[in-house]
Amino acid sequence: MLDRLDFLIGEALVAMRRNGLMAVAATMTVAMSLFLLGGFGYAYYQIKRYADALPGRFDMRVYLVEGAPYEQITATAQALREIPGVKSVNWIPKEKAWEQFSQEKGLDPNFVKDLGNPLPDGYKVILTDLGLAKEVVAKIQARPEVDSVQYLQAEQEILRQAMGLLRWLGLVLGGLLFGIGGILIYNAIRLTVVSRRLEIRIMRLVGSSGTTIQIPFLIEGVVQGALGGVLASGLLYACDLLVGHAVESSFMLGSLPPYPAWPMMGLLCAVGAFYGLVCSGIAVRRPLQYR
Amino acid sequence: MNQGNPSPFIQFSDVTVRYSELVYGLRKVSLRIESGEFLFFVGRTGAGKSTMLKLLTREARASEGSVKLAGRELERLSDHDVPGLRRHMGIVPQDFALLPRKRVWENVAYAMRAVGHSKRDVRRKVPEILEQVNIGYRADAFPHELSGGEQQRVAIARALINDPPLLIADEPTGNLDPEHSWEIVELLRNLNDKGRTVLVASHDMLVIERLGKRVVRMEHGQIVEDRSVDLA
Repeated sequence: MLDRLDFLIGEALVAMRRNGLMAVAATMTVAMSLFLLGGFGYAYYQIKRYADALPGRFDMRVYLVEGAPYEQITATAQALREIPGVKSVNWIPKEKAWEQFSQEKGLDPNFVKDLGNPLPDGYKVILTDLGLAKEVVAKIQARPEVDSVQYLQAEQEILRQAMGLLRWLGLVLGGLLFGIGGILIYNAIRLTVVSRRLEIRIMRLVGSSGTTIQIPFLIEGVVQGALGGVLASGLLYACDLLVGHAVESSFMLGSLPPYPAWPMMGLLCAVGAFYGLVCSGIAVRRPLQYR
Repeated sequence: MNQGNPSPFIQFSDVTVRYSELVYGLRKVSLRIESGEFLFFVGRTGAGKSTMLKLLTREARASEGSVKLAGRELERLSDHDVPGLRRHMGIVPQDFALLPRKRVWENVAYAMRAVGHSKRDVRRKVPEILEQVNIGYRADAFPHELSGGEQQRVAIARALINDPPLLIADEPTGNLDPEHSWEIVELLRNLNDKGRTVLVASHDMLVIERLGKRVVRMEHGQIVEDRSVDLA
């Protein structure tokens, strides 16, 4: 078994040496495509995580019309809890809201007393899913006892747009390069088949099995794809270090979550290897058939 | 020609090979070849002699009729079975098909490794095979350092790695001068004397007549003469 593997891997190494430049081009293109796909994917995942956490950090405020009776406040709270996408509803009496506001803004207590309480009764509503915010707001605003709803619509919209942009950029640019990488792997394998036509002919003459003839070329494709994955994960790690450094030097943004270097390398390597296997499999399917 | 033998080693029965509507490789060819025979296919280019050999190696398929080898109908073999078929025959191409960057012994070793022999097997068998075709003394030479006859010996050595009962050679002397041609044919006769069936497609009438074995003459995809001459 090891003896057989030794022969097949040796053949694959010879094949790669024959078309070194083409193999390098294919590997680099796969690396760039996986870097883009992986990078955009990772950024998308992080922003989505941040966005999903937003409803907890930025609660939605619902204000009732002036003079709502206690029964109305209880019934409305119950009705709000039943809206899909709402995680919790807490009543905030206008006195408590005014007190909090005054403290947060550092207003003079005498001035506050003279001014009177301009705030209405309201609720703090927390969402389960950021994507449902618009629907939840529409349903709340449709209620006659509700005066207004305030939430960070602009921030949420920016995040949604950023996620959409990342998704499209990743799919279009990454997908395009992924396709080109596949064509280059296919091309590299086909060139290797041509450059090794004498060996292939000899193998056919003496009765090598189709698998024995094909495996070195498949190994070549897998190695090119996997190397592309390793390079891409290295590039991503470098980018994460650079971005992380920039973020940490800014007081406003805090710090990035730790980059999962090994899982990312494993994932990109596996995707690259599988892709290389598929592309080389397509490349050798016809020319290496026994006819 | 043992026409009475019910089970010949090779049997072509009404074989037609059609490449297109108007182009035929063979037309209704029937032929029996017994085990241990030495047979030359002769004829002009395009007469059909190489097609006869290709039918046996399954590089070509009969459009009509059947080809049997050791009782197996080759038309019914799937592509998957072709490697197994070829391990029961040794094929010697006209152009030698040697790997230029490998030494003589490596060329034979490569073929052995390609059909699954272990390194230990290779170390044991390669010298034996090279001695069998009298090329052991050039084992470390590269193909470009060999004469045409020596290169053809290496190609024959490679064809013997599976110890096949059938040896098929397509124009083995086509690229050789008369002296080397005779060397190669002598070598093939020696292998035939040891019990192998040897089929050769050739133009080289001088060598064919001198060897005095069975000759099947072909023209326009048909057999026009089948004679056993044993003058040797």
